[in-house]
Amino acid sequence: MLEIKALHASINGIEILKGLNLTVKPGEVHAIMGPNGAGKSTLASVLAGKEDYEITSGEIVFVGKDLLELSVEERAREGVFLAFQYPVEIPGVSNVNFLKTAMNEIREHRGLPALSAKEFLSLVKEKSALVELDASLASRAVNEGFSGGEKKRNEIFQMAMLEPKLAVLDETDSGLDIDALRIVAQGVNTLKTSDNATLVITHYQRLLDYIVPDYVHVLFDGKIVKTGGKELALELEEKGYDWIKS
Amino acid sequence: MSENLVAFEHQLGTTSLSMPELLTKEAKEGIARQASFPTTRDEPWKYTRLARVAGLTVAPIAFKGAPALLKGMETIDVIFEKGTWWCSAAVEGLTLQSANEISPESWQACTTKGHVQHLNTLTAQGGIGITIAAGTTIQQPVRIIHRCSGAQGAMVLHHQIKVEDRAHVRIELIFEGEAEQAYSNVLTDFFVGKEAQVHVDKWQNTQGAHYGFYNERIYQERQSTFRMQTITANTHFTRNDVEVFSQGEAAHTQLYGAFFGRGQQLIDNHTYVHHMAPHGTSDENYKGVLWDKATGVFNGKVKVYQDAQKINAYQSNKNLLLSSAASMNAKPELEIYADDVKCSHGSTTGQLDAQALFYLQARGISKAKATEMLVGAFCAEVFEAVHSEYIQTAIAEHLTL
Ligand SMILES: Nc1ncnc2c1ncn2[C@@H]1O[C@H](COP(=O)(O)OP(=O)(O)OP(=O)(O)O)[C@@H](O)[C@H]1O
Ligand SMILES: [Mg+2]
Repeated sequence: MLEIKALHASINGIEILKGLNLTVKPGEVHAIMGPNGAGKSTLASVLAGKEDYEITSGEIVFVGKDLLELSVEERAREGVFLAFQYPVEIPGVSNVNFLKTAMNEIREHRGLPALSAKEFLSLVKEKSALVELDASLASRAVNEGFSGGEKKRNEIFQMAMLEPKLAVLDETDSGLDIDALRIVAQGVNTLKTSDNATLVITHYQRLLDYIVPDYVHVLFDGKIVKTGGKELALELEEKGYDWIKS
Repeated sequence: MSENLVAFEHQLGTTSLSMPELLTKEAKEGIARQASFPTTRDEPWKYTRLARVAGLTVAPIAFKGAPALLKGMETIDVIFEKGTWWCSAAVEGLTLQSANEISPESWQACTTKGHVQHLNTLTAQGGIGITIAAGTTIQQPVRIIHRCSGAQGAMVLHHQIKVEDRAHVRIELIFEGEAEQAYSNVLTDFFVGKEAQVHVDKWQNTQGAHYGFYNERIYQERQSTFRMQTITANTHFTRNDVEVFSQGEAAHTQLYGAFFGRGQQLIDNHTYVHHMAPHGTSDENYKGVLWDKATGVFNGKVKVYQDAQKINAYQSNKNLLLSSAASMNAKPELEIYADDVKCSHGSTTGQLDAQALFYLQARGISKAKATEMLVGAFCAEVFEAVHSEYIQTAIAEHLTL
């Protein structure tokens, strides 16, 4: 589904990703761990198509398409979803309107008819219940005044609405209380099928108790330097990253 | 320097209105003294070049005689189009008359200043006089529609709207039409009586090389409310001057505006609020969005007179530049002679929030649509203040790509 080969990316002339390789197949869950500043969010942004980054070499193939050739919105329509580490507040744009517009643009791309108001609202109800997002938040401006935890739930709520092929969760667990963590993880697990895949970026092994990964990768200084099973996360929790560096 | 202002006045002809001697004299002297159009060295025209206006060849469009009657409308319409004009019948509490029939004494209350108003005084070719009787509420909106179209033309009009004590009315001022080359100079005087409430939505959407000068002068009595929303889109050249004389105690004024400039368009908004009596409030909120090489101007002046204590004057102007070649000139001016007043003003000019744009796009929304959503959100406070359905629809159409 996703194949990243020898990816080099820089921002403002500073190289951040330095030859990153990663292969993700449908139905898989991959966890990416690594120290602060290693380039995890950079990888997420590059996948989503943020223009600030310059791809100096390498390639990304997503469901047979050259991802780097696609615009941000085209990637989303093809099924890439990024749950932001820091979701943006957008005053004046209502969550509901925003999602309806997004869903209909994605549906149009997939050759599906636009949802009726009724269909849309019942979906909102169903999916917000999944992450126990207070229904009143749906009618507020996008993330405006949301608590840290509410913002993260809102990301997963959007993911549930848009049903992506590849979801990249960038530290969705940070800022969540223990109950919220479980709820969000359950949400992610419920959405999991044999056709979609999830990339979980996290610092904490705890999340991986709920979202069980098939692979754990260590991203260090712009490269994946170690890959293992879920037990690697436990090992990292215990020993830190120093033993990998050397 | 050529006497291009004098020549310009001549081509507009002589007014069909019965202006009082005094005003005519004042205007004549004003034009003679100035002789040529102001330049960018003149403060009020610092960012707005008039050379192109001075070079226009346009013939006056006259609206003499009685208007043709419009029937069966949900709105009370007055339409000025090239060739003729129409008017709905009067309703209970509302009288309509041609400005040509207004007596010199009734114009007396106004003073004029600047070449635009002087030209208007000397060359206006019609207008509408509207009176709302004391204590009446007019249910239907009153729309004054201006459509200047064709190869060329000058539409110089002077309207007078008298809203007597405790009367309520909602008015729409609409400027449309497509002309190859046009000049308009529309002056509207509002007399807002004690405790009267006036809501005005103003929509400017003229196509072609149309040079539009729009002046509203508002005289407010005690405890009256005057609200006006000025929305400008698609116009080649627009200069708005809104001047409020808040002369009765505890009068409230709201001036909102939103303008959208593209290509090489110029949109210049000048406001001037005179707080002449105590306990008055004014609330100004203008939003500008500029694309391409468009230019915007906002100059908001507030003057608080010596005896006008306990004034609360608020002014905000925020602008979005969607291209690096667009430019915005914003200038607040406060002149305060009373000591117990609250005045605040703020102005910002910035770009679209790149993070927000990315967020929307990352959910599958096209860049154009995302921009439209963010522009809409940016102007939401102003749009929400517009009550006219006609204008709401027109705004939505304009902003939908
Ligand atoms: N605009 C920029 N200019 C220069 N350096 C940048 C810029 N943006 C990001 N970086 C650098 O890129 C590196 C990688 O950042 P990134 O956000 O990808 O790290 P991360 O692995 O997600 O870290 P964390 O665990 O703290 O979230 C950091 O050293 C950061 O300072
Ligand atoms: Mg990060």
